[in-house]
Amino acid sequence: MSNSVNISVETTCENQIREITYDGVEMYQAPPTLSESLAKCAARIDFSKTSLDDLKKEEKSAAAATDDDKDANQFQESLWPWDSVRNKLKDAYTEICVLSDVISIAKDKRYLVLDPLLEDGDDTKPIVQVYSRKKALSQAAQVLLSGAERLRNAHSEQRSRNVSDFHIELLRLRQNWRLKKVSNGAIIGDLSYRTAGSKFGMSGTFEVTKAEEVMDDEGAGCSTNATSCTSSSSTTNNGLQLKTSSALRVIVPAELQGVAYIKVITQKDQEDLCTAQVNLMGHGPNITAQVGVWQKTLEFAQNVLFCKELFAQLAREAIQLQAPIPHVVIGNQIRATLLPNIQLIISLCHSTSFDSNQPAPINDHDHVLEHSLHQLLREVHFKNSHHPFPHPASAPLGPSKKRMIAGPTAADRESLLDMTKTQTILEQIIAQAQHIFMRKRTQYVLDTLARDVKDPQIVSHWNAMNSPTMSCVKINIVTHGYDAIGRTSLVIHVKERSLKCICRDGRVMKLSYEPQELRDLILCQINSHQISCLVSLARYMAWTVLSNSNHLGIGKVEPLGNASSCLLGSPNSDRMIAVQIRCDPQIDVKVYIARSPRADFFPSPLVPEKFWENLGGNFKEVRFDKIEGKSFLNKMEFLMASLTSNST
Amino acid sequence: MGVTVLQPYPLPEGKSGAHIMDHLGKRLLSLGASHAGQFLVDCETFISTPQHGTPARAVHVLHNSEYPASTFSIIDNGTGKQVAIVADNIFDLLMLKMTSIFTSKKQTKIESRGARFEYGDFVIKLGSVTMMEHFKGILIEIEYRPCITLSYCWEMIREMLQGFLGISVPKEYPTYFTTQTIMNAMGQQQLHAKQNDLYEPMDTVKQYLEHFTNYRKHVQMHGSMASSTASMGSGMLPSSVGMGRP
Repeated sequence: MSNSVNISVETTCENQIREITYDGVEMYQAPPTLSESLAKCAARIDFSKTSLDDLKKEEKSAAAATDDDKDANQFQESLWPWDSVRNKLKDAYTEICVLSDVISIAKDKRYLVLDPLLEDGDDTKPIVQVYSRKKALSQAAQVLLSGAERLRNAHSEQRSRNVSDFHIELLRLRQNWRLKKVSNGAIIGDLSYRTAGSKFGMSGTFEVTKAEEVMDDEGAGCSTNATSCTSSSSTTNNGLQLKTSSALRVIVPAELQGVAYIKVITQKDQEDLCTAQVNLMGHGPNITAQVGVWQKTLEFAQNVLFCKELFAQLAREAIQLQAPIPHVVIGNQIRATLLPNIQLIISLCHSTSFDSNQPAPINDHDHVLEHSLHQLLREVHFKNSHHPFPHPASAPLGPSKKRMIAGPTAADRESLLDMTKTQTILEQIIAQAQHIFMRKRTQYVLDTLARDVKDPQIVSHWNAMNSPTMSCVKINIVTHGYDAIGRTSLVIHVKERSLKCICRDGRVMKLSYEPQELRDLILCQINSHQISCLVSLARYMAWTVLSNSNHLGIGKVEPLGNASSCLLGSPNSDRMIAVQIRCDPQIDVKVYIARSPRADFFPSPLVPEKFWENLGGNFKEVRFDKIEGKSFLNKMEFLMASLTSNST
Repeated sequence: MGVTVLQPYPLPEGKSGAHIMDHLGKRLLSLGASHAGQFLVDCETFISTPQHGTPARAVHVLHNSEYPASTFSIIDNGTGKQVAIVADNIFDLLMLKMTSIFTSKKQTKIESRGARFEYGDFVIKLGSVTMMEHFKGILIEIEYRPCITLSYCWEMIREMLQGFLGISVPKEYPTYFTTQTIMNAMGQQQLHAKQNDLYEPMDTVKQYLEHFTNYRKHVQMHGSMASSTASMGSGMLPSSVGMGRP
């Protein structure tokens, strides 16, 4: 590894800092120039020391040193290479002797005095110091004052802010909406659902600009032109006064201005049955109080875009779908037939003028259809943007998760076919509307029957959890007071155009959308309930059930099936009761009684023996409505009790 | 997906396979069944080269048109143990890559193809089994859709088969469903009654494999017989001459 790193070596020959100004700038001391260093060195020379006495003293000491060295010189003349060394040593010795002499003389202080040398003269006057300090202080004061001035300005701006800062408003806008800056400095925003998966062609771009100087008075509302919707101080929303002006102005495209909603009406022969409104602004005005006027504008524009997309999708599907009765698309209305004589009308209402007197909302608001249409379109968006990730990652990115595991789980042909079927939004909303209608109809039939038929009570329990296209109801037919004896139950599945009825004994009946069929079914069930409860009751009363039939086949032909009957014998067989129940338009009960030994038997030549009187007499009808008792079973109980005789 | 039972139909003398299929189809239509398309079950076998010590392993790859998105595969490791897997159709491409280890035996590619009838809750398929364009026999598949346990509906299926086929079906369960002894979780041997298990599409495929293996063995048997005696029924194996390969 030969990664060589360059290492730079620098001397720390930094110049000494002379002073630091108030700005933080350091003023270095300039390195001394040659002339300056020369002056410095020259100042060190003490010219008072160069007198003749000193020179003589130095010569003497030097001469004494040389005499001593003369002898040594003769010996050392032969050592010529060491001559320079000898000379240098001699000079050094001489100088040391001179220095010691000078010091001893200076110590004496009689002939020689050592004085320190000053580089700067002490000629600064105190007044100069005062002036310099005063200047420094004034500079410091200047810095502090300018800072305080700025703070005061900012503070006063904040306090009296009736014109909000453009940038703060822009920050709020950016927190809620997508913005970007284009090349010429303008700010463009996007309020469409494209990032959420929508493929609608209409663009939802809006422009953000600074608002001009707006007068802070009530009359400012008139100055807004038709294309911009901000700074309108006259916007009151249910009495809540919004911010009168804003530093931002938001310009939305012309086709998205105003307020739009989708209205769904179910109509039966020109009569309004139920109505639904679909829009995104289900909430009150409170959310827009904190943010500016632009929030409301943008929300309305987004709502208009959503409603337009929804209506365009529905219209496209209405034209493409093949229905038995074709759907009609006229202008901003789509008509579809749910059931014969019942139509579904979906219309897009878009108002571009800001009237404060909006039409009062229609009272029977079908929240379910409203929410459903919204959810269905959002589901389409979601499917466009979210694709199930394939496992393994190399598998194709189209199929749903169910289809991907269909192979390893050996899915059969029907399941695979079901996976390929999809329903459009219009089909789904028609199915939901049909189901709502069927459910209302079924509820109406059951409620009127429960109100009209009081003898056995009809109790219906609707399931709390349903799907948008199917509901279930469980019906119990009981007689009050005799719940333990018998109860007839049936379950009805309410689908989009039909009903499926499952009885307790396992019979499954499919009914159409006609309400009369359900009514007939319930009446027949009431019929059979009465007879089966009577049979159980007879057992409790120790009466024998001699025969029992659900469909007698007597009398004239009826549309609703025939009478059901029951024949009971008393415990000691001296009485018989025959009951016949029809449900022709309403429940009709006939009861007959017979006595076993005939009271009117007279032996005749054809039938001479007496014992033939035991064959039983004629049946006589009982005035059943006059019998005491709250209900059919109650009356039958009393009848049976009264006819039971003690036998010996 | 319900309980499925395979029943081979013995060919009477002198009649061809196509004639029998036609005859049975007409019977079903007159009973009230409705013709609902065609079906195809095919099987291809790959054999690994036997190395010393380990016997040859066979991989059977089957397709069933009733489950068009799946490919079934059974590995037979020579000692009787079978491992089965249900996979996506891409499994076939995987087998193409394994040609270095497993060689495909194209001669034993066998299939059952024919008409499919729906009769109430029953689905009846009349299949003629062919191996390399040679007709092998007739295999009837009957499925009772509502039930997924054989023991609950075996009697009804048997009655149905006897009714329209005219042959007698033995009272015992088919050989695939016979009671086996298996080791349970605690290491003990236990009798396991397969007719009480929940039925799976894999069971159908395993039954097909069993019958196909029988047809292949018939070929060998008849192949060896053909080398000794000459006469064969005209409906049976007209091309037994070329057989004799494993």
